[in-house]
Amino acid sequence: MIPIIEQGLLLSLAAMGVYISFRLVDLPDLTPDGSYVLGGAVAVVLLHSGHGWVFSTFIAVLAAGAAGAVVAFITTRFRINSLLASIMVMTGLYSLSIRVMNAPNLPVPKFDTGKIMSYEQIVGKTPLDDILGGSPSASFEASGLRAVKIPFTNLGDGHDLVIICAIVFLSIVVVSLFLRTEFGTMLRGYGRNRFAVKVLGVNPDLFAYVGLIMCNIFAGFSGALFSMYSGFADVNMGIGTVVVCLAAVILGEIVFGSHEPMYGVIFPIVGALLYQFLLTFAMKYGYRIGFKPSDMKLLTALFVVAVIAVRRFKKSEVTI
Amino acid sequence: MKRLIAAVVLVLSVISFGAVRVGITQIVDHPALNAVFDGIVKALEDSGFKVGQDVIIDRQNAQGSMQNAVTIAKKFATEKVDFVVAIATPSAQACVQAISDRPVIFSAVTDPVGAGLIKQLGKNDSNVVGVSDMVPVATQLRLIKKIFPNAKKVGVIYNPGEANSVTLTNIAKSAAPSLEMTVVDIPGTSPSEMITALNSIGPNVDVLYIGTDNTAASSIEAIGSAALRLKKPIVAADIDIARGGGVVGFGFNYFQVGVETGQLLVALLKGAKASDLESHVVGPDSLVLYINLDIAKQLNVEIPSDLLERANIVVKDGKEVSK
Repeated sequence: MIPIIEQGLLLSLAAMGVYISFRLVDLPDLTPDGSYVLGGAVAVVLLHSGHGWVFSTFIAVLAAGAAGAVVAFITTRFRINSLLASIMVMTGLYSLSIRVMNAPNLPVPKFDTGKIMSYEQIVGKTPLDDILGGSPSASFEASGLRAVKIPFTNLGDGHDLVIICAIVFLSIVVVSLFLRTEFGTMLRGYGRNRFAVKVLGVNPDLFAYVGLIMCNIFAGFSGALFSMYSGFADVNMGIGTVVVCLAAVILGEIVFGSHEPMYGVIFPIVGALLYQFLLTFAMKYGYRIGFKPSDMKLLTALFVVAVIAVRRFKKSEVTI
Repeated sequence: MKRLIAAVVLVLSVISFGAVRVGITQIVDHPALNAVFDGIVKALEDSGFKVGQDVIIDRQNAQGSMQNAVTIAKKFATEKVDFVVAIATPSAQACVQAISDRPVIFSAVTDPVGAGLIKQLGKNDSNVVGVSDMVPVATQLRLIKKIFPNAKKVGVIYNPGEANSVTLTNIAKSAAPSLEMTVVDIPGTSPSEMITALNSIGPNVDVLYIGTDNTAASSIEAIGSAALRLKKPIVAADIDIARGGGVVGFGFNYFQVGVETGQLLVALLKGAKASDLESHVVGPDSLVLYINLDIAKQLNVEIPSDLLERANIVVKDGKEVSK
């Protein structure tokens, strides 16, 4: 039970980002698939170089935010659809994250590890040595990893849950306070009608920047925390983040049934929690009634479409 | 006789205490990883455990998602699962992070030390033990040297997004100079990228090498025919990949990785502690030499007779003969 809530809340941060881009500023953004990974990669690399988890997460969040700025730049400067621009940035981030980690997968080690060696150094001999002549010549040796301190204990005793709850609560407060400011109001106005805000004498491109940066800041934040929570960053861990978050956002909207942007930031949080429960439920019982693991993605897609369809019939309003 | 009595006592005690629950998690539906699972079941049954009766297996699959891998690990941590087996690196990392109060067995992890699972191979003072699917890269390069004495450039086909492949490629790079060879990267993050890289970089290399790369494995038929067009022989570190278009393969099949993993599980079921057992790489006895004479003929490759004698699997005139 506790782990489900923990994971749901970690996911909810990314869902909040997706909510901001898809709903508030109406600039669909697929970058989170990449910035989620970038956040994790930067955080774990900085942990390895001896920085504390708060600083590492902070820099990771900035890096992910920068990715959002790049999307905004491409969208506003070259007038490319944000969806397309974000696909480019997301693709590029895959390579960048490998660069950052200098490997596709980097663990957050709990203890100091020894030397990494080749098969021949470990085993000493192979069955072909007599034919091939000479002795194995693998001189590969890489130094292991140093233990790193993380904020999560993974004991499931509520310690991690308190930390995560505090982080999510703070994020909700910060975002809702921001949306209440004059600038926040204009940002929401930009999402409703892009051209109307021009009348106010503010460059509308600014809102695109703020919206997309915020979206990716939360995706990177979520990725960084998830990496520390799960014990590793992997370049493939971001796949499907946007779809899952979108499912969470829509689930949240069903629960609240309204579109009130003032309280909207709560939608994705509740949605992400619900999504995590549904996923765990499906994993636990789905296999027993004949689902194959490979069916889960189809189920997610069908679920999102079905939910949107139901909303359409009920309210006859276009939501997405 | 003593053993038999011990086994009978064990089986009786297991029955009287009720079934043991084993949680097995793997990162994705993949023939090699599924073979690991089958191998585990085989090892259990060979040791007299009835799966579904003495041992209840809760099999989970993360569908390629790291979040799901963590969800499964947490599920095992909170549920009444007595032993956990995690197949492939991300699943193993998630389980090792989440579970510290009962044994975790990792399997098919190329570099368990680099992945932060254990301090070192051999005995560790922790709840984690397992089997690495590291392959003898340096020996495979020496094999290449033996068959292709003039080969200078070895093109390594791999996915830079797969931790296992990157480890193997790095080992190849550090071992190649002593054999007067250089390693050329032929990277691709998807099958189509791999074919493109192969077509553009392939002509400059003398021979191709493929490690235990999942992306290459999933598109080996296409890679094989592209290599054939380029007239470049493939040497593979995985017998299943070799079957898909290689001239020579020297490695093990993943079923064997599963059997060795299953043997660790059996030892734990019989009462051993994880800290008593040794984490190890797949033993040299499991290494198999595969030679495809049909493709060798097409590419005018001469296979040394002593190698051919030693081969465990030989393909000739479209027929596969195992020794």
